Parts: sequence; structure tokens; C-alpha cells
Amino acid sequence: MDLLLDPYQSEFMRNAAMASLLVGVLAPVVGVWIVLRRLSYLGDAMSHGTLAGVAAAFILGVSVTLGALVAGLIMGALIAVLGTRRRLGEDSVIGVVETILFAVGVILISRNDRKGVELGHYLFGQLTTVNRNDLLLNGFLALVAVAIIVLNFRDLLASTFDPIHARQVGVRVDLQRYVLMVLVSITVVVSLQTVGLLMSVAMLVTPASTARLVTNRVSSMTLVAVGVGVFSSLGGLTLSYHLRSAPGATIALTSAACLLVAFAATAPSRRHVHHHGADNTTDPEAVSVAS
Amino acid sequence: MTTTTTTNSALTVDDLGVSYGPVHALHDTSFTVGWGELVAVVGPNGAGKSSLFKAICGLVPATGHVRLGEVHCHHQRDRMNAAYIPQQSDFDLDFPITVNELVLSGRRRFLPPWRRPRLVDRHAVSDALACVGIEALGLRPIRALSGGQLQRAFLARAVAQEAEVFLLDEAMSGVDAPGTADMLTVFRDLAEQGRTLLVSTHDLALARRCFDRCIAVNGRIVADGPPATILHGDTLDATFGSGSAVAGFSLN
Repeated sequence: MDLLLDPYQSEFMRNAAMASLLVGVLAPVVGVWIVLRRLSYLGDAMSHGTLAGVAAAFILGVSVTLGALVAGLIMGALIAVLGTRRRLGEDSVIGVVETILFAVGVILISRNDRKGVELGHYLFGQLTTVNRNDLLLNGFLALVAVAIIVLNFRDLLASTFDPIHARQVGVRVDLQRYVLMVLVSITVVVSLQTVGLLMSVAMLVTPASTARLVTNRVSSMTLVAVGVGVFSSLGGLTLSYHLRSAPGATIALTSAACLLVAFAATAPSRRHVHHHGADNTTDPEAVSVAS
Repeated sequence: MTTTTTTNSALTVDDLGVSYGPVHALHDTSFTVGWGELVAVVGPNGAGKSSLFKAICGLVPATGHVRLGEVHCHHQRDRMNAAYIPQQSDFDLDFPITVNELVLSGRRRFLPPWRRPRLVDRHAVSDALACVGIEALGLRPIRALSGGQLQRAFLARAVAQEAEVFLLDEAMSGVDAPGTADMLTVFRDLAEQGRTLLVSTHDLALARRCFDRCIAVNGRIVADGPPATILHGDTLDATFGSGSAVAGFSLN
């Protein structure tokens, strides 16, 4: 018991725990949709691209949150515009846009290092600097993001599973995609101090992927993902205190360990379901037919 | 006179055309389908069957006119009485969604703001499941369904949507023989209740055996009539390319 509670004698560790908890809840709730839409690469790119907005905001002295959101919106718009040229694959477009914004961020930071902007803080997180104001802002952002998903649950479900039908019955499928990109930006902002830019995608993708292996409904997938997320963030933080390791990386590895456990535990049943599905639904014609 | 035509036809397609850039997928396409008709739409891959269905539902930009019942369709919301059911290969069949949730998504236009389903929507879902004979499968995840059961779940979604015109894209692909027989029974039940079904297929034997009317498409309407009359040499050549009639294409 002491091993679990010892780290949290000091206030800065209690703040760090609260910040980790917020990430542990928010990132998996958003991540479920990223995983289901197979947008992990987009999530990764958005987190890196956010650096430009964070750096610009810091230098201009405006809110880092605002900067990150603007960077997210610019990224979404750039991907949409470049993506209209069909000859460019979407993954290539995402790769190019990610690099532009990440490079701009690195240049902005490198030219202003005397102002105390430290690249490492953004890239890997800086849990020990979390204060009460950060917690309030992050808590508010997380609340808004989770509320958007809860209130929008059915439309998100419909447009993720069958976008064509969703569009037909009046869901604004393109808008859903943009909202999701904004939610990823918010998640990156909330993750900034905890796991940092480079590893925020870990909390976005790993708990949701773990839940994907063991559930058959999006609602239960979300609950399991949040469970894994909270366990990883608090467990990882506690572990990092005892091991004197970097908290962000320890949290990322803890969630990866959960995935590996779920992977091993579900191995036989996944194989069974695959066979079952193949018997019933796969037909060479069904794949080749397109008129 | 106009009034009579209007009430008699469930779907009127007038001079419909679909282009993807410089490629004309469909042109000069006009036909009328009555209430309760069960129609096979045949044609080879790339003939424009999917484009035709998507254009009717307003899912691809198209020229020409579409009328559903008495409604001239100008906007997306005018077209919700038509339900497009895509090919199974378009879906992630491992997606974590239950049959109930899938069918409920058809109710969207009836749901209150915030989309919380009411009791009446829950009833509509179970009625729709009963209508296609899978009332016991509501709680199953779709990945536990057979091809035929999944296709019926999509039909139930269209029923819950209160659609009157059903457009099924290659509905029989990925469905085994008993499943196909069950599907045809459901098609007939739905048609008897006054719903109009257009089913695209490249299986000419099936079209000949099980449908009363057949529309052959290849970039335009090649033929339209009873399968026994239109599925012969010249039409087959025009639809599937020369030699297909000689080779006995799918007519076994």
C-alpha cells in the first residue's frame, strides 16, 4: 500500500496524478473513434503537427491551448485541400502536412530558445510543472470533449460504420470528421504536460486498441478503454516514481503492456472468430464486384 | 393524367446521367417502377449499377430527375424514402456494432435532438427485425452473423427508416444458397407490403429464376422487361459484350 501511496505525499505529485488521470480518461474516449476509423496515423501526425501551434502561442504569449487548436484546424484544412488531388494518396498528404507543421514548430523553438522555450518539455511532457490552473483548464477541455462525443454518439457510430448510409439519412459525415480532428487536437493539448507530443498518440491508440480486442460494442469498448487508460496513466506514474524513469514513457509502456496481455489472452478466440467469419461472409465475388 | 402516373409509380428516373470526371458511368437513363415491384438490375462490373442506385439516393452528383412517389427530389432530405444498401465488401464486418444498433441508425430522421431513441423507436426496431425474420438476433454483434443474416439486418435498417424504395447493391454476393432463398422470401414479403425493391446482380440465372422484371444496364438502359424476354442473345451481347450469349454467360 505504501508503494502505491508514497509517491503522492507531495502536492506536485498529486497534481501530476490528476493530470495523468485526465489523459487516462480523455485520450481513450477519443481514441476509440480513431482506432475504429483506422486513423491512427492521422492521430500521430496531428500530435506532431500541434508543435507549431504550441510554439507560436508560447512566443506570442497567447494561450498554448488556442495555439494547438489553431494548428489542428490548419492541419485539417491543409490535408483536405491537398487531398483533393487524387494522385496524392491521403497517407502521403498527411505525412507531408505533419512534417511542415512539425518543422515550423522546431524552427520557431530553435530561434527563440533564449526566451525559455524548451523543446524537450513539449516533446516528452513535463509533469512536475503541472499547476492548479493547468488542471482546471485541462479538466474543462476534457469535459467538453467527452460531452461532444457522448451527445454525438449515435451519429459518430453511424458515420464510422457506414458513412454512405449515414450521409443519406442526414448525418453531416464531413463535419463529423472535422470534429474528430479537433477532438484529437484537444487530446494532444491535455496530454502535452503528461506524456508529451511524441507519445500522446500512445494514449490515443493503445487503450482503445486493447479494448477493441475484448469487446463487441462501441459503448463497452469505450468503458474498457477508459479503464485501461486510467490504469496505465496512474500505474505508469507510480511506477516511474519508484523506477526514477521518465513518466510519459513509463505510462506509454504500461498501456502497451495491457495491449500485449489482451493480445495473448484473446489469441484462441480471435482465431475462432476469424474462421467463423470466413465461412459465412467471405466470397471472392463479393470482394471483386464493383459496378 | 399526370396525377395517375404520379400515384402509380414509386420511382421515376428521367434522363439520369452520372459522370466521374471525363468518364460517363451512366447516361440517358429513364425508367419507372411501380409500388410493390421487385426488379433485378443486371449488368457487368462497371456497368453503372451502383452509380444508378447512388444517384437515385443523391449520393453522387447526377444530371436528370428523380421522383420518389410524388416527391420531386431536389435535396438530400427529399430522398430519405429511398434506402441504399451497399455491397457487403464495403463494410468492416468485424465492426463492434450490434444488430439493434445497426437497425436503430435507420431511425435517425425520427429521433429527437440529441438522438436519444424513444420507446416508439425501440418498437420500430423490433418490428423491423420481425419483418425480415431475425427478431432473435437483435443483441448479436454483426460479426457473429452469416452473410444472409447480415443482409437481412441491412434490410431491417431500411424498414426502420420507413423507406419505400429499397436499392440493394449486389445483395446476393457473399450469401450461400439457403441464405439466398431466405432473402428472396423476404424480398417478396416486403414487395407484397407495397415496398419497391431494386436488386442489382450479375447472376443472370438468379435474375431469370426469381424476378418478374429485369433492367439490363451498361452505361445506359440496354433492355427493360420480363427476364425471359430480355435475357437472350442480342441483349446479353449489348449488356455484357459480344460473345457472352454464345458462351452461355451465367445462364446455367
